[in-house]
Amino acid sequence: MRQTMPVRLSTAEETLIEQLKSLGNEAEAERISVAGLPTRRVESYHYTDLKTLLKAMPPLAAPANEASAPALRVPGAYQLMIANGAVQSAGTAPAGVIVETSEGTSLSTRDDVLVHLNGAMAKQSLNLTLEGTVDCPLQIDRRIEGAAAHSASSARVFVADNAKATIIETCSGSKAAHVGNHASYVSLGKNATLTHITVDLSAEEATHFSTTEYELAEGSKLRSLVIHAGADLARSQVFARFAGEGAHADFTGLNMVDDGQHRDITLDVHHAVPNTTSKETFKQIARGRSKAVFQGRIVVARDAQKVDGKMMMQGLMLSDEAQILSKPELEIYADDVVCGHGSTCGHIDEVSMFYLMSRGIPKAEAQVMLVRGFLEELIEPIEGDELREALNGVIEGWLQGGIQ
Amino acid sequence: MAMLDTPTLKENIDQETVDKVRALDVDKYKYGFETLIESDVAPKGLNEDIVRMISAKKEEPEWMLEWRLEAFRRWQTMEEPSWAKVSYPKIDFQEISYYAAPKTTAGPKSLAEVDPELLATYEKLGIPLKEQEILAGVEGATGETATPYGGNVAVDAVFDSVSVVTTFREELAKHGIIFCSISEAVREHPELVKKYLGSVVPVTDNYYATLNSAVFTDGSFVFIPKGVRCPMELSTYFRINEKNTGQFERTLIIAEEESYVSYLEGCTAPMRDENQLHAAVVELVALDDAEIKYSTVQNWYPGDKNGKGGIYNFVTKRGDCRGHRSKISWTQVETGSAITWKYPSCILRGDESRGEFYSIAISNGHQQIDSGTKMRHLGKNTTSRIISKGIAAGFSDNTYRGLVSAHAKAKGARNFTQCDSLLIGDKCGAHTVPYIESHNSSAVFEHEATTSKISDDQMFYCQQRGLSEEEAVALIVNGFVRDVLQQLPMEFMVETQKLISISLEGSVG
Repeated sequence: MRQTMPVRLSTAEETLIEQLKSLGNEAEAERISVAGLPTRRVESYHYTDLKTLLKAMPPLAAPANEASAPALRVPGAYQLMIANGAVQSAGTAPAGVIVETSEGTSLSTRDDVLVHLNGAMAKQSLNLTLEGTVDCPLQIDRRIEGAAAHSASSARVFVADNAKATIIETCSGSKAAHVGNHASYVSLGKNATLTHITVDLSAEEATHFSTTEYELAEGSKLRSLVIHAGADLARSQVFARFAGEGAHADFTGLNMVDDGQHRDITLDVHHAVPNTTSKETFKQIARGRSKAVFQGRIVVARDAQKVDGKMMMQGLMLSDEAQILSKPELEIYADDVVCGHGSTCGHIDEVSMFYLMSRGIPKAEAQVMLVRGFLEELIEPIEGDELREALNGVIEGWLQGGIQ
Repeated sequence: MAMLDTPTLKENIDQETVDKVRALDVDKYKYGFETLIESDVAPKGLNEDIVRMISAKKEEPEWMLEWRLEAFRRWQTMEEPSWAKVSYPKIDFQEISYYAAPKTTAGPKSLAEVDPELLATYEKLGIPLKEQEILAGVEGATGETATPYGGNVAVDAVFDSVSVVTTFREELAKHGIIFCSISEAVREHPELVKKYLGSVVPVTDNYYATLNSAVFTDGSFVFIPKGVRCPMELSTYFRINEKNTGQFERTLIIAEEESYVSYLEGCTAPMRDENQLHAAVVELVALDDAEIKYSTVQNWYPGDKNGKGGIYNFVTKRGDCRGHRSKISWTQVETGSAITWKYPSCILRGDESRGEFYSIAISNGHQQIDSGTKMRHLGKNTTSRIISKGIAAGFSDNTYRGLVSAHAKAKGARNFTQCDSLLIGDKCGAHTVPYIESHNSSAVFEHEATTSKISDDQMFYCQQRGLSEEEAVALIVNGFVRDVLQQLPMEFMVETQKLISISLEGSVG
């Protein structure tokens, strides 16, 4: 009776279908040609309509034969590089770090278009096994080099029982309109402790997609931080699953968005077992005519009693044309839990501005000071002075980019 | 076997709260009787002929029929929305009859002409239709059951697809107020209906609103002229009686400059094994300095203990604060329906207009509620406030879904949202899905969903006066809940008082 309208495909979608066919992945090509890329009608892409936002799809990446300067240097870090999807040979690994590679993606099967595409495209995965206490931070430096390219990369991190480590992932590359689709699967063993930071520093014209899956075993502790400081269009997805009791995670994120950009952080935390806690703190800051998106969801499964989850989103708008969109969701099936969420959104406090300016601090400087104060909460808990400094450098670089 | 599946309760929930929610459980539904009355029922199915038939039954002018047909054609191209957190078997829209009317209601001019069987039904429901007696102050005229309808309330009684009687019409007419069924309004005040119908909820708004636009049968029409403060509460009581029918009510309330009206809505249905559809559209228009207060006690049949039967309640309610400094306030107490899909919204178009939403949603048995509000800030210095309390028990799912958005031109927009949920038992679910969209930097939005957000100052003040922490919290939260309930008109207090003391212990965001 009712007709279903055939999906009209955009040029980006058509190119994508061709690429998937050339990779021999008919199933994925079929899926895209039937449904297209997700529009705002797909609830998880409500604010990030990929069909309209993704204007062009560059050709599939060829092996990289040159390298741009590293986007972020973390002094004392052990560096691993993935260029155009291929794992590069690295120096001698520090004690407790085992570096291997395997074929295909590291992600599990999940009904999400970016996960599907990574699965179809990623040829190689960097596998890290971490044992004991790893002294230096590990940097996974993901690059897309050369002319504009569509590239996928993948990494799998296994933190052994009782191990402790810090990983910083950076995404960058040559100045071109790349489309990057990066994946990480991170598993924490019993009582393991991990700090995992992902910083996007892609070129201004680029599109950055990343998906991180966490699996937390008994008693493990995770601190996760996502920073968006690059790309014209960015979407970082974080999917976490608590699989063992007594685990705790802090999920944090900083979404800095400039004129003309659209950046989205999407979080889905699943408390599958009792006695697990999580704290989600996300900050968004937007200037110019830009769009900052945060979608967060905490799911507490039927028998996961005594779960504690607190989600907070704070947005700061530095211009009138900016948009901050947020959707902090709770989905609770257990009756003995404490879950809360909060969301605030506004501009710089005029009273504080007046206070600073009345003490002779110029307007622009006063704004930077207040914004710095607003963001400090996220960087402060990171261990390691040099790492913190590097991250502060990223924020500072963005702030100096000009506040009206 | 059902006994084995009984949810277990955790200990720290206040027993009183549990008892009060149980008293509202699905098997305690007291309005489930059926009135045996001869009815005119349209054949099952939906096509252009049915739309024409409904229009003809209502003796509508040509333009109204065209309007309906256009909506119907549009509806055929639309798809059922699937984003809400509810699940139900696919509705066969051809298995429903779209019109049912008691045979004897061919336009009664006065109460004396209304079928006594119908009057008895309303008496049983506790709805006062005996206006003379009420006016004369006869004791017991308001019926024996404790209901929200006491005192001086003008009632429009809608039975299946038709309005059977509207009381106090002359009294209200003295003030220039028009209060009648929408079918009458289409015939008698076409200029007003033409101007406002579909101006808040466009024909193409959503699947169920479009369906309603094609086949709506009855509902109320209220017009409050400039500067008039409506002297009594206006009310519509909806009753579904006939089998295999759907009810498609349409309500339109217009408050001209500087006027005020408080409107109540109530609804019940008999207990039946099959699901029945209720897809309503309510439109409110408030011009400069006008205020509309809209309260609902939604008590449709929720289905039995095993989730069989019950009403599917898919409703589009929207108020348009069209004038400066206008105010629209929604208050709802949701206890019925198998499925509730309802988002009373405010479009804050006029500068300094205000929208409010107060809700208590209680789900039991196998009920599914996906309800909330939308506050769209378009004008300068507009303010809105959302207070929502969801209580889930039994095997039910209770979702709050709300949107707050500020347009780029809505300078100084301000919103405060608070939503709390309480789970009673371990087989139910409570969910919160807020959408917060800020498009300009001077808008300030706050959303919170924890009881721990009570200000430290208040806690300190109470505690240094010797109250324990718990007592202090109870005192502050109580004051806060009372604040919500004060938004209800006096007549509703009786019904909702049962819920007032529900404690927030063990509540989650």
